[in-house]
Amino acid sequence: MTTVTIEVDGKSLPAQAGEMLICVTDRNDIYIPRFCYHEKLSIAANCRMCLVEVENAPKPMPACATPVMDGMKVFTRSKYAQTAQQGTMEFLLINHPLDCPVCDQGGECPLQDQAMDYGSDDSRFLEKKRSLPSHDIGPLIATEMTRCIHCTRCVRFGEEVAGVVELGAPGRGEHMQIGTFLNRSIDSEVSGNMIDLCPVGALTSKPYRFAARSWELQNHPGISPHDCLGTNINIQTLRDQVERVLPIDNPEINQCWLADRDRYSYEAVNSEQRLTQPMIKDGRKWREVDWETAINHATAGITTVLNSGSGNDIGKGIGGLAAASSTLEEFYLLQKLIRNMGSDNVDHRLQQCDFRDDNIAPRFPASEIQIQHYNNLAAVLLVGSNIRKEQPLLALRLRDGCNKKGTKISAINPVDFDFNFDTVESDVAAGGQMVRSLATQAAHVAQIKSAELPFDIKKIADSNPGFEQTANNLVAAGENGLIIIGALAQQHTDASLLKAISQWICDTTGCKLAVLGCANSAAGWIAQCVPGDNGMNAGQMLGQNGSAGLRCFILLGTEPELDSIDGKSALATLNKAEFVVQISAFKSASVMKYADVLLPMAAFTESAGTYINCEGRIQNAKVAVTPKGEARPGWKILRVMGNFLELNGFEQITIDDVTEEINLTDITPSCRLVELQFHPTLSSGEKSTPDLMESDSLIRVVDMPMYRAEVTLRHARALQQTADNPPPAAGLNPATASRLQLNDGNRVKVQNQSGSATLELRTNDRLAENCVYVPAGFMETTDLGRHVRVTVKKIE
Amino acid sequence: MEIEFNTVRKAYNVCLPDSSRDQPWTLKSYQANGGYQALEKILREKTPASEIIEALKASNLRGRGGAGFPVGVKWSFMPRDADGQKYVICNSDEGEPGTCKDRDILRLNPHALIEGMTIGGYVMGATVGYNYMRGEFWQPYEVMERAMKEARQAGYLGHNLLDSGFDFNLYSHLGAGAYICGEETALLNSLEGLKGEPRFKPPFPATFGLYGKPTTINNTESFASVPAILRGNGKWMNSQWFKDLGVENSGGVKVFSVTGHVKLPGNYEIKMGTPFSELLKMAGGVWKGRKLKAVIPGGSSVPVMPAINIMKANMDYDSLQQNGSAVGAGSVIIMDETTDMVKVLERISCFYFEESCGQCTPCREGTGWLYRIIRRINNGHGTMADLDTLLDVANRIEGRTICALGDAAAWPVQSFLKHFGHEFEAKVMAMDGLYAASAGRAGAAANPANATADSA
Amino acid sequence: MRLLQIVNAGKQLYKTFSLQELRKGLGVTGRQLFRKKTTIMYPEEKTPKSPRFRGLHALRRYANGEERCIACKLCEAVCPALAITIDSEEREDGTRRTTRYDIDLFKCVYCGFCEEACPVDAIVMTDIHEFHMEENHECIIDKQRLLELGDMHEKEIAAARKQDAPYR
Repeated sequence: MTTVTIEVDGKSLPAQAGEMLICVTDRNDIYIPRFCYHEKLSIAANCRMCLVEVENAPKPMPACATPVMDGMKVFTRSKYAQTAQQGTMEFLLINHPLDCPVCDQGGECPLQDQAMDYGSDDSRFLEKKRSLPSHDIGPLIATEMTRCIHCTRCVRFGEEVAGVVELGAPGRGEHMQIGTFLNRSIDSEVSGNMIDLCPVGALTSKPYRFAARSWELQNHPGISPHDCLGTNINIQTLRDQVERVLPIDNPEINQCWLADRDRYSYEAVNSEQRLTQPMIKDGRKWREVDWETAINHATAGITTVLNSGSGNDIGKGIGGLAAASSTLEEFYLLQKLIRNMGSDNVDHRLQQCDFRDDNIAPRFPASEIQIQHYNNLAAVLLVGSNIRKEQPLLALRLRDGCNKKGTKISAINPVDFDFNFDTVESDVAAGGQMVRSLATQAAHVAQIKSAELPFDIKKIADSNPGFEQTANNLVAAGENGLIIIGALAQQHTDASLLKAISQWICDTTGCKLAVLGCANSAAGWIAQCVPGDNGMNAGQMLGQNGSAGLRCFILLGTEPELDSIDGKSALATLNKAEFVVQISAFKSASVMKYADVLLPMAAFTESAGTYINCEGRIQNAKVAVTPKGEARPGWKILRVMGNFLELNGFEQITIDDVTEEINLTDITPSCRLVELQFHPTLSSGEKSTPDLMESDSLIRVVDMPMYRAEVTLRHARALQQTADNPPPAAGLNPATASRLQLNDGNRVKVQNQSGSATLELRTNDRLAENCVYVPAGFMETTDLGRHVRVTVKKIE
Repeated sequence: MEIEFNTVRKAYNVCLPDSSRDQPWTLKSYQANGGYQALEKILREKTPASEIIEALKASNLRGRGGAGFPVGVKWSFMPRDADGQKYVICNSDEGEPGTCKDRDILRLNPHALIEGMTIGGYVMGATVGYNYMRGEFWQPYEVMERAMKEARQAGYLGHNLLDSGFDFNLYSHLGAGAYICGEETALLNSLEGLKGEPRFKPPFPATFGLYGKPTTINNTESFASVPAILRGNGKWMNSQWFKDLGVENSGGVKVFSVTGHVKLPGNYEIKMGTPFSELLKMAGGVWKGRKLKAVIPGGSSVPVMPAINIMKANMDYDSLQQNGSAVGAGSVIIMDETTDMVKVLERISCFYFEESCGQCTPCREGTGWLYRIIRRINNGHGTMADLDTLLDVANRIEGRTICALGDAAAWPVQSFLKHFGHEFEAKVMAMDGLYAASAGRAGAAANPANATADSA
Repeated sequence: MRLLQIVNAGKQLYKTFSLQELRKGLGVTGRQLFRKKTTIMYPEEKTPKSPRFRGLHALRRYANGEERCIACKLCEAVCPALAITIDSEEREDGTRRTTRYDIDLFKCVYCGFCEEACPVDAIVMTDIHEFHMEENHECIIDKQRLLELGDMHEKEIAAARKQDAPYR
């Protein structure tokens, strides 16, 4: 890149040859008005607002599309330039309605602001203004298309960033209309960004509709708890109520984007189902009490269980489970509380069911590559990851890399997910087939690198080559390659094996590894909210795989019947438990059934706390609003419980006191197992997960839909209505469905060893054959538990 | 196939065949008149591309689509030896109101176009050509398809032309009837299957064209002129012959589509620099013995010329420019003394309002505004202030848009107001007068002075 | 100079002893005694008020009964005393409406900015200046009360607006 010098308004400025004029002026704080230009989108040059005078140019030039040249002389405020800008402004305003007082964009509207600068105070337009119908495009975005100025930012966002063309500009000339094709809804998981991009009030937030004006909102920087990125958010409040969430530009994490999950989850905070008063169960009836009574009741119940144990068994019947979205401090105090009671049963990994590698686990699940480098990878292998729904903003970075740097992405998934980037190869493999597919890749790598393939992998690997390019791509990429272990792999019954094989591939090829844990689970690990050597893990506590389960639970912000992949065992164990303390921001019918005490906890905007993302970045969130009703921050509740239980080490006064106790030194993001072990059950040839080939029954593919994975999201009204959150249904490959003589829309009974669920059938050609997709996170499907073999029968 | 010949009033046998030729659209007839000699010679002798480009530059052939960019220069911009696919595209999306010359070339002389494009492909190293025709060109499309089939069979199209090792494939594409797709970059978008919206330049098509590959786009007439130029009236590459047909800066002959109030409307292939009066005489003069009022000499996008200006102008680039207009696409719209210029402008601005692609703000919003003001004036609801607004709006569209459609919408307004402003004023005043008169009747004042004061 | 001083002193002396000022004053009194009286018997009698009088607030409705206020919150923003509090939401018919419109009359400085800021002439200041409250909380008048005031005095309000219209 050669540096040139240009002159703008008499000031000479250095610039890179070939870059656009507006980039130079923006960098030097010279303001040029614009509507269609956005630094993250392609150049359209259609709004014509950024016209400036360029010496020797025959006409005014658009600054956004004029490459700089050495010695170029530009005038941004000359009479000539201003006349051009004013001309455009007049054209923009002639058909724009004068409804600023009722427009949600009013007060933060680029058109309004620039009209003050470049507009006239009078209109010469005597004709009728154009008005257009607005369509319902889903629960998240409200439209008012009459206000549209056709800058096509939203269209370009869909095409370029989100990777789904949901909005277009059909029609010509004055009849051009931005809209969805065929009146469909906007279903992208990052659609809310279009609201931020829209320079007028054509696209506004539906949940925020008419709730407040921009000037009266107070800004509170915060961290989104919903995925492992630690997205920076701006929580906007009015009179102590969260009204809106906007992104804070952080080029290292979320850039200027925000996933809809982070943007709209605040609705849960204001939801009607909030638990606002401590409650205790008197016999079968619930009643609201004050905090002291409630905590006394809780400690009394816990003490009874404690005392019923003897000798070494004291405390063993007690366990603590935390939601993965809890803060570092909450994780820490929960495990401290449990451990001080003499128990080691504490966990936050409710979605996991294979814990065989706990003893060799790294410090926390992490990404060895920084988030900002996800755009620059050469090759990526996704193992059991629907990254688009799990970490939407990482998927955007992968898409960016794929488009601009040619990242070669492959995937091994039980479903051929509809990614927003191109995959080089995609293997649809469920159950044991997934392990086999990955092992086959390992065998390929071994062959290319002439490395010795561990016997355990060799045994599983298929002789059928499967992918042809993936292994080559990973080997060629070396340090620039990445294997991503997603949620589906971590929920897999052979998760430990998948991790071990991936690690072997990384070790052999030099690729990096990323285990993208859910929500704030990195903090959970760092705060040691995981069982010790003698403790029970989440699965054992909740009675998975025939384990006995615990007698007493302290639940922190989690509803295990929905948060756990094996909801059936969880519900059974909790129902028969002697005492259950639920510390939660929400109440629900099923919790009211098994819990004995409900302690209202502050939701995520109401409590301070520390979040650690997958790259080990420690970020603090501050309180944005006071907790609803009698709710208190989770850490305070745990701390006071510690006092009431007369335990040592619960004297913290501020949250900083808690944070200081936690060892946060030396957090290097590494997710490698301490030593490479392939689990013995597999080494001896047994496969804990049934293979597709060998069975005539069907295999259940299970995942946690993106808006069902946490209790907060389950209470976010608008998100629950989106297309990413359909009612539970049984998915079947059309081929399998026709083999079973089933049709789309049939009512079917999905049955396995533990129970059954009656669902509607949806055929889905993205599913592997001989699989049934039944999501977790719904009460309707809880009964199916974790048993993989299922049968599907039609209900007449 | 029966093809009407009577639309060609005068032909020079460069682009348009004269009526003495029997079925000129057939390969046989074309070859009998020297057709494909140039291509054969080039392929046989492997004439260097630079020689052909030099010949075209010397011929002074300027692009016939409207902008008048020299063809030889344009062809020399193509990175001939660069790797990768390159494209030659013929713009037959003849949508300019009043123009019908390309249609007759496609219908009557399709092989000239095929030969011209193949030579173009050879010169620019492109192996694929597209002929983008407007959606309404059903007959020309069929004629072209048949001619291409003939050419393919004769080895002038396809793989390894005449054993020279050079490949050239030509494809026809019918548009969907959008005027804007005649703009070269919008044409590229349309050809790619995208919405027909002009692209921002730079990058120019010569570096980033169809599917991002180097592309040259020329008008049908430009391509069709190439074989005749190279044949040079019997002397190989005698481009001087072609140049000498015309005048300084405007070489050769050009087809003018004469339409409107004349006795013999049709296509006239005449020498550049022919005085307009002569052209008018050829066309039989203004119909019904009326007087000439105004002429739009190059299709609706170029400025209108009142009779006094056009009568002293010659039909070439320089002369028309000096007299305040342009050759444009060469459609000469003749208007007699009874023409209502406000109504004409209303029709023209309605066209641009309908055909704006809607991409750029000034054109999307401005064309509608222009049309509505003019309609209002024409309906008698205009005011004097509207005339100022009209001119100002046109000025604010001109030069502020991505493509030239904005300019094309503004120029007629500017020129009509400049030359025929009095007619607009008269329409406004007439209505003012009516109002005044009615006010006078209603009120007590019978004094005309009072009535005028009321209307003011 | 000296002579002038003596003359002035003499004039002063004359003025003092001839009670000239007193007689002048009594003259005014005497004249007014027989003129038309300008004092009024408040509250039985009242002075006329300007159409721009800034008294108690009211919220107006359109003739069809629809409330004018569109919850744009401009009055709230412009209020120098922060006396106005508005909550808004989308009404069932999709329009923007207030759910709460409170004015704290103790905070209000009766500047009339709210009226000026209102794009739909919803919040207006009536000519009512005689009002009182008996309980402390009554200083806050809510949306319902404001609308009632508007309904009650719509005629006067409309007349005053009409009268002032040419100057606005």
